[in-house]
Amino acid sequence: MPKVIVNGQEIELKAGEKLNGIQAAQRAGVDIPHYCWHAGLTVVASCRMCLVETGTRNAETGAITMVPKLVPACQTPATDNTIFITNSEKVQQARAMVEEDLLIDHPIDCPICDKAGECLLQDYHFEHGQDERRADIRPFTSRRREMGDTVTLFIDRCVMCTRCVRFTREISGSSELMVINRGSHEEIDVFPGYPLDNKLSGNVVDLCPVGALGDKDFLYQQRVWFMKKHPGICTGCSTGCSITVEENQDTVYRLKPRTNPHVNQWWMCDEGRYGYHYVHSDKRLTGAGKLEDSDYKNVEWSHIITDLDERLRKVRGLGVVLSPHLTVEEAYLLATYARSVDPNAMIVLGHVPVVGVDETFKNGFTIRAEKCPNRRGIEAIVLHYMPKVLTVDDLLAEIAAGRINAAWVTGGYKEPWIDESTAVQFEALDTLIVQDIFSSPLWERATYQLPGAVFAEREGSYVNYADRLQNAVWAVRPPAGVRVEASVYWQLLGRPGMYKARRVLTELAGEIPYFAAAAGAVSDVGVDLKVNLLAAKSEVVSAAVS
Amino acid sequence: MSTAEHVLTDEMIAEIKSYFPRYPTRQAVTLPALHIVNERLREVPLQAVVEIAELLGLAPAEVQDTLSFYGFFKQGAPHGEVRAWVCRSISCALRGGEEVLEHMCHVAGIEPGETTADGKLTLEFAECLGACDFAPCMLAGKTLHKDLTKETGEQFVKQVRGSR
Amino acid sequence: MAKFEPVLLANVDNPDSHTLKVYEASGGYKAMKRALTEMTPVAVIDLVKSSNLRGRGGAGFPTGLKWSFLPKDHPGPIYMCINADESEPGTFNNRILMEEDPHQVIEGIIIGCFATRAQTAYIYLRYEYPLSYDRLQGAIDECYKAGYLGKNILGKEFSLDIYLHRGAAAYICGEETGLIESLEGKRAWPRIKPPFPAVEGVFRKPTVVNNIETMACVTQILARGADWFKSIGIPADPKNPRDPGSYGPKLYCLSGHVNKPGCYEAPLGITCRQLIDEFGGGVWKGRKAKAAIPGGISMGLLSEAELDTPLDFAGPGRVGCLGLGTAAVVVLDETVSMVDFLHNSCRFFAHESCGQCTPCREGTEWSLRMLDRIKAGKGRLRDLDLLLEIGDTIGIIPGTTICGLSDGAAWPIKNAIRKFRGEFEEYIKRTNPTGYMVTDAVDALPILAAH
Repeated sequence: MPKVIVNGQEIELKAGEKLNGIQAAQRAGVDIPHYCWHAGLTVVASCRMCLVETGTRNAETGAITMVPKLVPACQTPATDNTIFITNSEKVQQARAMVEEDLLIDHPIDCPICDKAGECLLQDYHFEHGQDERRADIRPFTSRRREMGDTVTLFIDRCVMCTRCVRFTREISGSSELMVINRGSHEEIDVFPGYPLDNKLSGNVVDLCPVGALGDKDFLYQQRVWFMKKHPGICTGCSTGCSITVEENQDTVYRLKPRTNPHVNQWWMCDEGRYGYHYVHSDKRLTGAGKLEDSDYKNVEWSHIITDLDERLRKVRGLGVVLSPHLTVEEAYLLATYARSVDPNAMIVLGHVPVVGVDETFKNGFTIRAEKCPNRRGIEAIVLHYMPKVLTVDDLLAEIAAGRINAAWVTGGYKEPWIDESTAVQFEALDTLIVQDIFSSPLWERATYQLPGAVFAEREGSYVNYADRLQNAVWAVRPPAGVRVEASVYWQLLGRPGMYKARRVLTELAGEIPYFAAAAGAVSDVGVDLKVNLLAAKSEVVSAAVS
Repeated sequence: MSTAEHVLTDEMIAEIKSYFPRYPTRQAVTLPALHIVNERLREVPLQAVVEIAELLGLAPAEVQDTLSFYGFFKQGAPHGEVRAWVCRSISCALRGGEEVLEHMCHVAGIEPGETTADGKLTLEFAECLGACDFAPCMLAGKTLHKDLTKETGEQFVKQVRGSR
Repeated sequence: MAKFEPVLLANVDNPDSHTLKVYEASGGYKAMKRALTEMTPVAVIDLVKSSNLRGRGGAGFPTGLKWSFLPKDHPGPIYMCINADESEPGTFNNRILMEEDPHQVIEGIIIGCFATRAQTAYIYLRYEYPLSYDRLQGAIDECYKAGYLGKNILGKEFSLDIYLHRGAAAYICGEETGLIESLEGKRAWPRIKPPFPAVEGVFRKPTVVNNIETMACVTQILARGADWFKSIGIPADPKNPRDPGSYGPKLYCLSGHVNKPGCYEAPLGITCRQLIDEFGGGVWKGRKAKAAIPGGISMGLLSEAELDTPLDFAGPGRVGCLGLGTAAVVVLDETVSMVDFLHNSCRFFAHESCGQCTPCREGTEWSLRMLDRIKAGKGRLRDLDLLLEIGDTIGIIPGTTICGLSDGAAWPIKNAIRKFRGEFEEYIKRTNPTGYMVTDAVDALPILAAH
């Protein structure tokens, strides 16, 4: 195992690992400041902030030979017996020099800059910078220029790390961003008439270490230190990017990608990033209702649940439509409840919205045409109860044949998902329960109208296109009058205490082989369910053989 | 971005393409292409950048990135019929080059980098032209003007502008 | 000292010296023919190695050693790039070679490409040398006609194309990886090393970058032998096993305040004073020298007392200069203000900094702003310390930047202020009597136009 020494501390790397000095130091718990390096982009070593002292230790004699000049840690491979010194006076002076250099021409815009509070220039100044301003004072504020519909640029705040330019050349492959001019007159720009308009454009704002690039969606909306961050999963498509939902007092202000080497690396698409506003749409359904004498009566949730349970125990046949927007836990709980009131309840997969085709970018990142987060998870739940994956069409056939006279339909779709001609077919039911976020032709025909939650309000797991199960926690409370699906099912089942996603997941992982890998702890990058499927398959085969 | 009017003539395009076999990538033809356009139009307009980019299989931003690095290619308006570079580096400065440039600008009525209103002359400062044996010196077109003085500089300006 | 019989400049005064006919009349291309027909590529590399030829572009890296860094048995293509970007202030020897004796250079390129198995050579030529362009292209055309370029030269398996590639007035294109990036069509931001060009150069293939004068030396070494080359110049220091010596003839450029500015050939190691007095006709206007740049402005300054410094690869370093550089001497007479000198230098480097890495981009700009302020009569004594701090911290030598442009920016600052501190202090005190002692940061001057 290769050994690397960081500030005298020896750390062991795994065989074959290719790390640079910054990454090796991270393993040792040491943060080497840096601007231009990013694990997802080529190494340019131009900011010079990560300068360290390096050397080698003789494997036999232990003698140490240091390189006389500073080197950037980002371009120095951490191989066996490499030494890194990140805290010597020489290193500290170099950092202070770079920091001072970047501030010479930097507008002191902190009071009006979005990045304040999460700005590397600020942070490093306090940690590593000079104590006093020594360069000529030039009070000025940054000029601004638009990069496109999603991103704006505060030109003079830029520190020329070129992460954004490299992103458009290496990741999105669209090459809209460029550097213009030479020397200290360099600026970031777009070619006139060719704005930044690729579907991954928002990522350049994540990459920008300072407040130069700004999200137009987020500009001046909220100070970052007021926001709380919650790990979540984007529900825009079946890629299932790991994200962070950032909110203050139950208002979501922005989504950011979370690093996940198995799913989205460091990126997310604009559709997902900026597509959260429906969380706070004034068209959200609130207030549960029951149809009585052709009119909807507002009913207390506690009442409606008791009422529902009574009613459902008397139906002839129950059908349940599990939306691919439900979490795995919610789908499992609802299906379990349905079977408890009707042992032959029909469980079907809800509408799976598909828009266009999969779109893959230069580095392999893909925006998928399947615009829901959990079809695979729902299918697995359905298959646990039914011989095959049945759909709404199958349910409608049963309704038409008179074998089913009650149905519970879950929605949660951002866009309209059911038309009049399909909704009309549900009219044959005696009891129709619709749990959704926006009104629809089906909602208008419901016997019980239950307003449901959106992704930011749910806690549970989703299974993406590659059979990876990932967890999300709730970030904001739902609007008044809305109860999250999971808590409704929990109460219907008469389970004690509060709904806890983790416990439900363990329970269903024990019952349904597809989810077996999720029975134990699930890390923040999720778990590949296929791992156990192979094991399960081989068990089936050996069982069949023996 | 209007693509209505093409700026690159067939002749320019043919000459740019004649450079393709010299390099394994088309991007390497960027500087030659910029020079080919600049020598004929005395500038490289934005539309030309778009067309060059298309020829070379690049995004316009990539060509513009390179173009703007050099500060050599004018955009927005062509430079004068004669573009004269007066050196301001150490050897020429030691022998009065900066004063000569200042005087020439004064006579022409423009600042360095600008073009006279009649479009005849652009005066620029240059960094070391590599003719320190004849300092102060000036490069105008393909001609190297040696041992420049305020008088010969002024004469040059007047002669280019066709005035007495 | 005995008059040195020029070798590199032997042909330049002949009428039509740039033509093949004249070049071959005095034995040109014999060396190339012998190399291609009687030697192997490895033997040529060994010969150049044994001559201890050091590159003439400014870094002085041993040429044969550089060629031997190419990976053996690489499937190719291998490229040679000839650095004809000559932009170091004070330097013009490449220009003279290209204009007056291009075949001497091309013969060296053919030999060099044969040795390194390069099949394509790009001459990166600065745009400001139009006559060099015409003369080089003319010579290249003559070579194709004579069968010295193109496919299967002299009936051998060796084929070579030479292309001229014009720059666009950027000093950083003279840095070897800046040249490579510019050749590839991008902005000339030098690359981080490793990988070195010999492993991954232009178009990500093994590449050697050599200077024009170096190629002319290659021609002469093949023509006259390594022993001849080593009979000229300053031998290696026997006490220092790493010293390759300073062998061979050198083209010295002399300009500034001398009576006869020009390009003069002499053995490596003549002193600055010898160059000024014996070749340059002495300081002009009957004045005395105050200082001299020893090797292009990047190398810094020699004070008058240091003019007896030998101009070989080791000499200038002993008196605090960066090195020999391009061996371009620029003389400053006693009337020159060092403040003006340093302002000119800082302005050059701020203009030419490629802007890629922070210490150079911001440090050169900060230096210029301080010199602007000092010249405007708002200087502080503290500025001198700040300038020295910048000078001591930026550069590839301390490791804080990607390339050596910032070392070139630093050395004039360090030499000028350290060797002429009194003059700077006097100037500041005199022009800013009320503010020279301020240590707090002061307001910047209004930002001047781009340059």
